[in-house]
Amino acid sequence: MISETHKWKVAQRASPQKLSSSKGIFQLGRGILIGSILPIILLVGWEIAARMGLLAAHLLPAPTIILEKIISMYQDGSLFGHISITLTRVFLGFAIGTVAAVVIGAIVGYAKTAERLLDPLFQAIRSIPSLAWVPLFILWMGIGEPSKISLIAVGVFFPVYLNIVAGIQGVDRKLIEVGRIYQLTPYQLTKRIILPAALPSFITGMRSGLGLGWMFVVAAELMGASEGLGYLLVVGQNTYSPDTVIASILLFAILGKITDAVLKWIERRSLKWQDSITNQG
Amino acid sequence: MLNVNRLKRTFNHDTAGFQDINLSVKEGEIIGILGTSGCGKSTLLRVLSGLDKQYEGTISIENGSNNQIGMMFQEPRLLPWLSVKKNISFGLEKEKRNTDKYKTYLDLVGLTDFENHYPKDLSGGMAQRTAIARALITEPEILLLDEPFSALDAFTKMQLQDLLLSIWQKKKTTMILVTHDIDEALYLCDRIFILKGQPGEVYSEVSVEKQKPRTRGDAYLSKQKAHILNLLNVEKKAAGEQK
Repeated sequence: MISETHKWKVAQRASPQKLSSSKGIFQLGRGILIGSILPIILLVGWEIAARMGLLAAHLLPAPTIILEKIISMYQDGSLFGHISITLTRVFLGFAIGTVAAVVIGAIVGYAKTAERLLDPLFQAIRSIPSLAWVPLFILWMGIGEPSKISLIAVGVFFPVYLNIVAGIQGVDRKLIEVGRIYQLTPYQLTKRIILPAALPSFITGMRSGLGLGWMFVVAAELMGASEGLGYLLVVGQNTYSPDTVIASILLFAILGKITDAVLKWIERRSLKWQDSITNQG
Repeated sequence: MLNVNRLKRTFNHDTAGFQDINLSVKEGEIIGILGTSGCGKSTLLRVLSGLDKQYEGTISIENGSNNQIGMMFQEPRLLPWLSVKKNISFGLEKEKRNTDKYKTYLDLVGLTDFENHYPKDLSGGMAQRTAIARALITEPEILLLDEPFSALDAFTKMQLQDLLLSIWQKKKTTMILVTHDIDEALYLCDRIFILKGQPGEVYSEVSVEKQKPRTRGDAYLSKQKAHILNLLNVEKKAAGEQK
């Protein structure tokens, strides 16, 4: 992860122009190359150390063993099942949490009375560490999907909610006045000025919400599941197979990165009007 | 076409804002509102534009259609997520927004090749030109201008003053220009109201009887400038004694 951000920064610094130009792509490629040096050295070192017996195989198996584990799961077909069930949970929880946050956040951000009424409650609920919900949700909804998805949705809800409220309340009064000069109705004002202006912080909220969603899916699957990447962690722990545990951590990292990249791509596309360092050119 | 009668809007227990403003504006006139800061000039425009509704007195606009008032602020206030052409079309009805009506105004303000740029890529002068086009596209009866050029550098300022004048010559839009720049007021306006005091009142009215376009620094304008400076410098007795 660290090398990823580093890589990205290098690419940014090296190419202030748009990345679509061929020079930009070349420089981005160079950025990836530079960013990959350290991880590759580490991997090779790890492999060599494991093969020479410097690392205990029952604690830290060689990268190739982990890769073999993933490939064998792929071949027996279980990999797809675990990945798809975890992805489905994250996606459903994320969708429910985001929709709830948008609706409630928009009301709280827009109407002062609603803010006074609802915000103290949400702030209080927010200060409960979300994992504390786990036992309650299991009591309420059992150990099946509803409790898992609810837990993820709760995790996703708060960052999205907080950011959307802040985004709406932070809309420049000067821009709202422009709308009022043209006699926009409250609905038009919301649609044409407030929502687009709040979009950047909404997307920020979605990205941190997604991060929490991944965290909570692990918690949800640890608490009792028969499928999913979090379940693989438990299986790995119980069967003393660190390769399974590390393989599943690796898969979490890859999936988390991919979903975040999707949001980042959406962010770039929909916020290309923003006057920020990443948008120079 | 615009009549304002005993208009009053004050803040902080009558220590800021303006009071007892009577104005009547004829069609096609450019009116200047000149005054030192804190005399309620901008508040006056906010009241006239409808942004501030807590006033006393009456405002009447003859043959008023729906979108009768256009407003330009000190800052361009463009919507950063819209391109230049969409910013210009912003005030139009939904059906007209996607037509190429904006082209006329884009050309009018000299931004022909910039229709797809975003505000972040515009200079201050270009952004203010876009704002002019946006204010004009709805064809307002009255255009209110709140120190529209005060944040620009001297050259851009002169260019835009000339642009505004050329637009006025084509369209004969009635304008009310709030400014603290005496030269600007003398260059553009037919009549200038001098506001003084806290809350501000109309202290004096100066007519500029000279055909537009005028020459900057012309002898007559210099004389008027000296006169206005003199009016503005008259100290405290002014505010209390008037009427």
